[in-house]
Amino acid sequence: MSEVRQDKTVKRDKRTSKAPSEGSHVIKGKDTAGKTKDSLSNVSCIDEHHDGTTMAVTLENTYQMGPRKRFPAHAALEILKDVLKSYLQEEKYEVDWSRQMTKTLCEVIRARVKELMIRRYKLVVLVHIGQLAGQSMQISSRCLWDATFDTFATWSFKNSSLYGVASVYAVYYE
Amino acid sequence: MDEYHNECIENVVGGDDYNQNLVNKWTSAIVERCLTQLVKLGRQYKFIVTCALMQKTGAGLHTANSCYWDTTMDGSCTVRWESRTMYCVVSVFAVAIV
Repeated sequence: MSEVRQDKTVKRDKRTSKAPSEGSHVIKGKDTAGKTKDSLSNVSCIDEHHDGTTMAVTLENTYQMGPRKRFPAHAALEILKDVLKSYLQEEKYEVDWSRQMTKTLCEVIRARVKELMIRRYKLVVLVHIGQLAGQSMQISSRCLWDATFDTFATWSFKNSSLYGVASVYAVYYE
Repeated sequence: MDEYHNECIENVVGGDDYNQNLVNKWTSAIVERCLTQLVKLGRQYKFIVTCALMQKTGAGLHTANSCYWDTTMDGSCTVRWESRTMYCVVSVFAVAIV
């Protein structure tokens, strides 16, 4: 799903405090016998807005209508393939190791995509690692963005005991 | 916003058991509903909504995300929902435009 954005007449440049932020969630394999509740839900938010020390930044015009260089989805895909293969090839699923590995993979992928040095793109990297236990799973995503500039890449990897899915979304910042 | 997502999930998948044939429809429906409700907020953001639906068989799942953005303006929210037969994890990332 994509939304066409109207062209703005004034573009702004902003010195941003771009900083990495991370979050992770775990669903542990567990015994469901004796569960009396029908459904459970858990919510968590990453809220970085309470930093009182950041100063207001004044905006300047860049008069730039679009990115000088578009985000190369194929290059991102190669990075994902490479990282997933090299980190997960011979591994077996273990709870603590997987927890650490998901976070590590996220950071590695983010660092490598940043190295591509595509300016004015914000990145979101998502990694899932799960145990293969005969279960079925579906992951889907929808984005509301400007389809001319924004793009994504996703890759999944499987070995005998685990599977890994990595996605990277690149969003242009005007 | 968290209540919206929770409600979305409940409405789509609420009382059902995991069904391989329907899971595709469910994930699409959940994600689209979340997105339409986010749009109704009328804020100047681009959104990325992700949904993972997994059958409960005792297997483990780990999910992590890492973002390179402006921490003063952008943010994310994740809702984990569970029923007797499945898990659902919905993540929403909001990226500011200007």
